[in-house]
Amino acid sequence: MSLAGKLLTGILCLLLCFPLKVSGWDWQTRVTVVVKDQPLRVVCEILEKGYGIHFSYSRELVDLSRKVTVTAHQQRLKSLLEQLFAPDDIRFTRVGEQLVLQQIKRSTRTISGYVQDGVSGEKLPGATIYAPTLKQGTTTNQYGFFSLTTVKDTNSLIVSYVGYEPALLPVDGQANRILLVPLQPLASLQEVVVSGTDKTKIQDQTQMSKVHLPLAAVQSMPKLLGEADVMRTLQSMPGVGGGMDGAGGLHVRGGSPDQNLILMDGTPVFNFSHFFGVYSLLNAEVVKSADLYKGAFPARFGGRLSSVVDISLKDGDMRHYHGDVAIGMISAKFNVEGPIVKDKTSFIVSARRSYPDLLYNATLRTDGEFGKGGAFYAYFYDVNAKINHIFSPKDRIYLSLYKGEDNLLIKSVPDSIIPDAIGRMTESSRFQLGWGNTIGGLRWNHIYNTRLFSNVSLNYSQYAFRTEYEFKYKLPASEQVSDLYGKYFSRMKNIGLKADFDFRPSPSHAVRFGGAVTAHYFRPGLMNLSDKGSTSVIPLDTAKNWLNIRGTEMLLYLEDDWRLGENLYANLGVHASGFAVEGRFYQSLQPRLGLRYMLPRNWAVKASYTHMNQYIHLLSSAGTSLPTDIWVPSTQRVAPMLSRQVAAGIAKTSMNNAFEFTLEGYYKTMYNMIEYANNSTAIDQPLERWDENVVIGKGWSYGGEAMIKKQKGATTGWIGYTLAWSTRQFPDINKGRIFPYKYDHRHDVEIVLTQKIGKRWEASASWHYTTGAPLTLPVASYHGAGTASPWDPGSGVDVGIDRYDGRYNYRAADVHRLDVGITYSKQKKRWRKSWNLSVYNVYNQKNPFLYYMKRDGDEKQRYLSKVTVMPILPSITYSIKF
Amino acid sequence: MRSFFVYGILLAILLSACEERVNIQLKYEGDKIVVNSLLQPDSVAYVRITRSVPANVYDESGFAEIGNAQVTLLQNGVAMSPLQQQTIKGRNYFVSKEKVANGNNYTINVTAAGLTPVTAQDTLPPAPVASDPVAKRSSTRIVFTLKDRPGAADYYRLRVFAYGPDNLPDTMRNFRLDPAFNNNLIDVITNTHYPSLIIDDTRFDGKTVNFVLETEHPINAPRMMIEVSSLTCSGFKYFRTVDMQTRNGGVLITEPFTVFTNVRNGYGIVAGINSQRLEFSTE
Repeated sequence: MSLAGKLLTGILCLLLCFPLKVSGWDWQTRVTVVVKDQPLRVVCEILEKGYGIHFSYSRELVDLSRKVTVTAHQQRLKSLLEQLFAPDDIRFTRVGEQLVLQQIKRSTRTISGYVQDGVSGEKLPGATIYAPTLKQGTTTNQYGFFSLTTVKDTNSLIVSYVGYEPALLPVDGQANRILLVPLQPLASLQEVVVSGTDKTKIQDQTQMSKVHLPLAAVQSMPKLLGEADVMRTLQSMPGVGGGMDGAGGLHVRGGSPDQNLILMDGTPVFNFSHFFGVYSLLNAEVVKSADLYKGAFPARFGGRLSSVVDISLKDGDMRHYHGDVAIGMISAKFNVEGPIVKDKTSFIVSARRSYPDLLYNATLRTDGEFGKGGAFYAYFYDVNAKINHIFSPKDRIYLSLYKGEDNLLIKSVPDSIIPDAIGRMTESSRFQLGWGNTIGGLRWNHIYNTRLFSNVSLNYSQYAFRTEYEFKYKLPASEQVSDLYGKYFSRMKNIGLKADFDFRPSPSHAVRFGGAVTAHYFRPGLMNLSDKGSTSVIPLDTAKNWLNIRGTEMLLYLEDDWRLGENLYANLGVHASGFAVEGRFYQSLQPRLGLRYMLPRNWAVKASYTHMNQYIHLLSSAGTSLPTDIWVPSTQRVAPMLSRQVAAGIAKTSMNNAFEFTLEGYYKTMYNMIEYANNSTAIDQPLERWDENVVIGKGWSYGGEAMIKKQKGATTGWIGYTLAWSTRQFPDINKGRIFPYKYDHRHDVEIVLTQKIGKRWEASASWHYTTGAPLTLPVASYHGAGTASPWDPGSGVDVGIDRYDGRYNYRAADVHRLDVGITYSKQKKRWRKSWNLSVYNVYNQKNPFLYYMKRDGDEKQRYLSKVTVMPILPSITYSIKF
Repeated sequence: MRSFFVYGILLAILLSACEERVNIQLKYEGDKIVVNSLLQPDSVAYVRITRSVPANVYDESGFAEIGNAQVTLLQNGVAMSPLQQQTIKGRNYFVSKEKVANGNNYTINVTAAGLTPVTAQDTLPPAPVASDPVAKRSSTRIVFTLKDRPGAADYYRLRVFAYGPDNLPDTMRNFRLDPAFNNNLIDVITNTHYPSLIIDDTRFDGKTVNFVLETEHPINAPRMMIEVSSLTCSGFKYFRTVDMQTRNGGVLITEPFTVFTNVRNGYGIVAGINSQRLEFSTE
């Protein structure tokens, strides 16, 4: 074409509003294309119309449906085409004036290995491995293992994890090898991120209703009496409520604390608290991370209705010895870890003990208080030990032990025997109370090949509660001598064998499967009391009031994280379980379904439907978790509990990953829940017939949760809001009418902020607000009867009786509280010291702990009285890390 | 040392609970008739009629009586002679002319102006078979024998009285089952004694048992009395739930205990009771 012709064509193009149209093209032709979220096919059409580039391809073989966003101004044609077609493995060739598109049949390869801390060798669960050009990635499992099948000519992967420098991983020639990917920790204070799985964008996970909590998030929260606490941090998440003020029970989406499966390195824990629920069982320093599942339960979990808390503990530094020592207002603790054989075997040991009783004994206790032979102790302690050994690149073994207890001992041996007010001469008395967990685990990780990983574990978990009492006294006037000895003992334990497999057959599938067998031993309520004094007393009965039951639970599961299409993903699973107890066998087949659909602008729509089954029940009459609570298996009358939960929501991460937003709604039904019938309690009923004293009912929980998080920069934190309803219905309670759950809170707001101030300071604040819990108050009072005749002995005594009409006719006061903390850290040559000052309940809000109807004899009034137990509580913690 | 004091103060803040009055308007079901009558075989019936009040009313002198109430006592559905109002020890009672007897069903109907009429009924229990009370002076133990009926659900109330200077059993003594006898560690730990004991025969059905009671204070009176009362099922439920509500003290950590009533459209209790009193001298 002549120059004039080109000019003419150009003028025509201008007239026809095709500014850059040319009659011919080559690879250097500059093109301009601007589209948003359009299929590749549309881009081809634009190039065809605008530049006369005719595309030739088979629609059956070449898929141009992938949506793309292109902003190309005067870009070379070839570079644009490469950019467009490379991710889909489409080859383009010029044949005459046509561009022929062909699908390249490319082979894949699998890259697998562990992601670990570059300094300590600690494995990192939830780290992200990502191929940016392919927009394809995976995350490490809870043992730090990953397997990614990708196209063969992928050059490099990006590996990232919270608090670590992202690393570029060259993968040329790395196929069929087990890689160890070290990540270097960030030098500054750790960035606090609480998210789906760290830097994996939340919209890129099919899993919903999950919160990932790394150690940094727990440590950055303001402390209660100097203690960072896992459970307290989880309570600040939407959908998770605490129990009574100051107590640490978890009420997840309207479920009760017994419906939470708490796993410590895969081993279930019966009672996860010290000091009546104020503190968690674990020293936070040994926690690597914690995952909370509120719904959309993966098939690998089962056995509880409402939540799973999966806690991973540190494995121990493979290269260097280091540790930390800290002292707070309540407890002192230490943590030491290091290699036994460098890069082969490591250990970690940590211990914690509360010390107020030691201070009391050293400073305040007087000699006469308990006598010279007396003693007083009131403390909790926990000890963790773990050994981790690498046998080969494919085999690794972990042995972990935990022992934690709460103990109280009051022993009195008066130096001189003086009669008390009623003439009783006490020779000695001893009261001992204790409860705690003993947990052990042996795990073997094995990599069969780059696509198949397994974890086989042997678990032991025991919870025991015991009380002993001795009382020796005499009444000289009557020569009555009493030598009482009694004890009460309860024990529940599990021994389990579990095998989990992680299989990545193709880029579109991540399959997990496995099975487990667990033996449950229930031996609650063993009590006896005898008097070896002068007069022998024959007990009223010798009937046993305790149980000794064994049950066996078995399960199989299969789940697949499946990429169904360009924008559609599914997590399909099934959990089959059975429970054999006392000649009966219960079984259940629990479907687990999760779906994710990607919308434009990085929005993901998620939905899930899950069944959960629970074969064991907690007998609790206080409405909150107590050390005396007893676990019992399902019986002929009380069938296993069952829940069904459906959830739907949206999720998005902002373009720069700074903000993350989730909005979820859920509806959960619960069946075969138990509650003590009106006027029955765990204490006054024979344990053997516990199932005759409970009523069986249903529960419903529904609501919505919204959360926005800032996870980058000097200021991080989150704002969470929960709108929830939780109700129950039992045939003999509240006249069979539906009533709210004891901890039904309509609105709940949580604001948590952490601010870095320079290199050495970090400030944090959390504000919690929740609407009042239901409360039952009397609707009348009336006179009671005492004797048949007014002439009878004991007549004329007034008995006032309160009339209650159903449950929960009031709401307690709203609860709100601000906690703040500030940490100063300074790096010395060999160690790092830090001071933390925290203030719990800064504005001294008098939140209700309990209510009661007070009869005030002085004022001659009767009124509702509120008791508050947690006022403003400042605390200081000093710690050294070396 | 200073740090110890600071620590001690902070710990004291934690442990010392703060309490305050909550000013709320308590709901009120409205005035209702309260009927209280425990029917003792071979005795006239005493019926006390009072009026319910809002829960925040503090009334030390007793609840307001309904003097103009119409009270009818029926034996097996047949009206007995009209009840007479009597004031005994400053209180108003409706008293029957005839005695009530075992083997009958009794119904009490009450009407009063402006209030919903109420009705309640019950039977009378058989007499308990208790004997051989023994107690040593200055000790805290009392022993007696109770023979339970086999195969029948029996319910009992026990009370202990000491004789005063007027030689009357006028002082109620707090007590409990001896912890070793009851084989109950919780009793020892809580170390509480109560003015009455409500118990069913689940643990000793059909047996003759030597009951061992432990009084709160050593026995110093020369004479004592144990009152052993058989109760009907309604009476047992009533006394047991009253006992539980009283022991709970209105603390709303656990759910409050609802007191049993068999008075339809009202409150209170109409129940049979059959008391046997074992009087004895202490050794």
